[in-house]
Amino acid sequence: MRNLNKVSALITVACLIVSCKKEQHIGFGIENTNVYEDKSRKTKKKNDAEYISILYTNLYQTAISPNQLYKTQNVLYSIGDQDVASEMLLSNYFNTGSIQLPSNALMRQDIEAFVINTYKRFYLRYPSEGEKAFFKQYILKNNEVSVEMVYTAFATSDEYQYY
Amino acid sequence: MNRKNFITKSGVALGGGILAPYILPSGSLFAKSGSQKADHVVLVMFAGGVRQQESVLARYLEDSQGVSGAAGNIMPNLFEGDAPTKKIAYGTSTLGLPDGSEPIPKLLSQSMEKSGLLFPEVKAQSAGHYVGLNTLLTGNVSYSQGLKVRPAYPTIFEYLRKHAGFKATDTWFIANGIGNSTPLLNSSNHKDYGLNFGANMFAAPVTFSSSGKEVLGNSKTYSRTDLEPMYFMKNFLDQSFALTQDQITSISNTDEERTRIKDFIKSVFEKQQAGQLAAPPVSNSGDAKNIMYAAEVLREFKPKMLAVNISGVDSCHSNFTGYLQSLHRADHITGWLWQYIQNNIPEMSGNTIMIVAPECGRNETPNPILDQNDWVSYDHSDANALRVWSLMLGKGVPNMRVGSSAQPVGRLTDIVPTIADIFGILDPLTNAGLIDPLAKSLYSRI
Repeated sequence: MRNLNKVSALITVACLIVSCKKEQHIGFGIENTNVYEDKSRKTKKKNDAEYISILYTNLYQTAISPNQLYKTQNVLYSIGDQDVASEMLLSNYFNTGSIQLPSNALMRQDIEAFVINTYKRFYLRYPSEGEKAFFKQYILKNNEVSVEMVYTAFATSDEYQYY
Repeated sequence: MNRKNFITKSGVALGGGILAPYILPSGSLFAKSGSQKADHVVLVMFAGGVRQQESVLARYLEDSQGVSGAAGNIMPNLFEGDAPTKKIAYGTSTLGLPDGSEPIPKLLSQSMEKSGLLFPEVKAQSAGHYVGLNTLLTGNVSYSQGLKVRPAYPTIFEYLRKHAGFKATDTWFIANGIGNSTPLLNSSNHKDYGLNFGANMFAAPVTFSSSGKEVLGNSKTYSRTDLEPMYFMKNFLDQSFALTQDQITSISNTDEERTRIKDFIKSVFEKQQAGQLAAPPVSNSGDAKNIMYAAEVLREFKPKMLAVNISGVDSCHSNFTGYLQSLHRADHITGWLWQYIQNNIPEMSGNTIMIVAPECGRNETPNPILDQNDWVSYDHSDANALRVWSLMLGKGVPNMRVGSSAQPVGRLTDIVPTIADIFGILDPLTNAGLIDPLAKSLYSRI
């Protein structure tokens, strides 16, 4: 019995020595990166509930309540021109005050950064050079353009209806 | 380039420059093939399954409940005939008197039948509501039409927009709710037509409800200076995304039209708040509210074509008394709408044709459900449910009665070619080959 115990102890120690290997770190030379949408791959249309809840969360940085979502969905469905419906919904949101928006001064302080962030915020992608140039130039040349106007254009645009 | 070539090419370019702005969305230059009979058409889709017996035949309780001596006309604004004198339950209720015992006074000095064209016995193509509504708007029998999908065949709105060049706000559909797929009736999903040619639409009792006010009522009124940059940026984004034709999911209103619609919605909420909405004398029903909003749309946009549906009489499935009351009210609000156009919209008065037709009839034999008066109820599935009528009045419409119970004339699919005929686009409509081959303009049925 004593010998058996010794043999068992020897086997356990031998197993531990054989099984413990130093962890190997394998690198493939890929850097961490954020993944963004590609415009050309957005082929699925958001349904009303998706559009409303994504928009609400985007603007208020909090989820819409189911009751509010249901009401909003019905009202939007009751209007033939969905552009009219979403423009009014958005304008209604902008009138509430608790919406999370950058200030106009901040936008004009660094227009390029604002344009990039707006594309990421609404479209989940970076703007192309052409898109960036258009918005930079347009905002720069038109002093009356506000954050609210830019956000309205994005939120009611066709691309925002797709994912 | 020699002188002759230069002159030829310049001439072609100049001609193209002059004509191009007039080419219609259909691609043709002169789409209208006939003379236009009126500038506006209002179609009342009436009113949720109406039996011939209690409507055009004026039988009241005589046929339906077997009450002898209880025949009579309960639709005095639409049809000729004396009111019943026995067991009056279709009117309004006054304290201390039996329920429904006060008929609503007639609004029109002359019934629509007396001043218009009545087809008292018309063949409906379906006994169901949605297919019936589809038939009224597409002119197709729509036998395979499913629920929760847009009509498979083009609606009259699309024909008018494509072949007569109407703009989006020239055509309106006022639905009485968001149930039963009705909000989908403003356009088909047909590949050659579709939403791009669709009508503007409100499911008015929802758009202008308390929820509607909460969701839309607090929206800002942007000035033109504010809107221009917004639309400019949006149009840039949309062009960049470039949806294909089949991906377009909204009606093609111009920026100006969209602004006008938004202003209109806000104005209705304001009028509602101030109690300034025009209303029929008796307006305590959902149908009445819908007709009120249709009147507001007519007053604001003076559309060339507006269709409004009402459906209160469908209570007949389980409450015959409620059905009679709804039928009497549907007559009242239809008469009121006609009167409102004549008295309050000078641009449309004397220049409008109204068409009234049920989307389906109702059964001859009752179901066993009894109401508060122990009267039996009626569904819509048998041959009697395929019996309907149509009524037309207004500019240039002859005063006639065509056909009878024994000699039916016309089909429900006739409504679309009739409207096309009124606007002078009967040929392109027929050539498109998408309506019931047996359908005809009511003018050719006379």
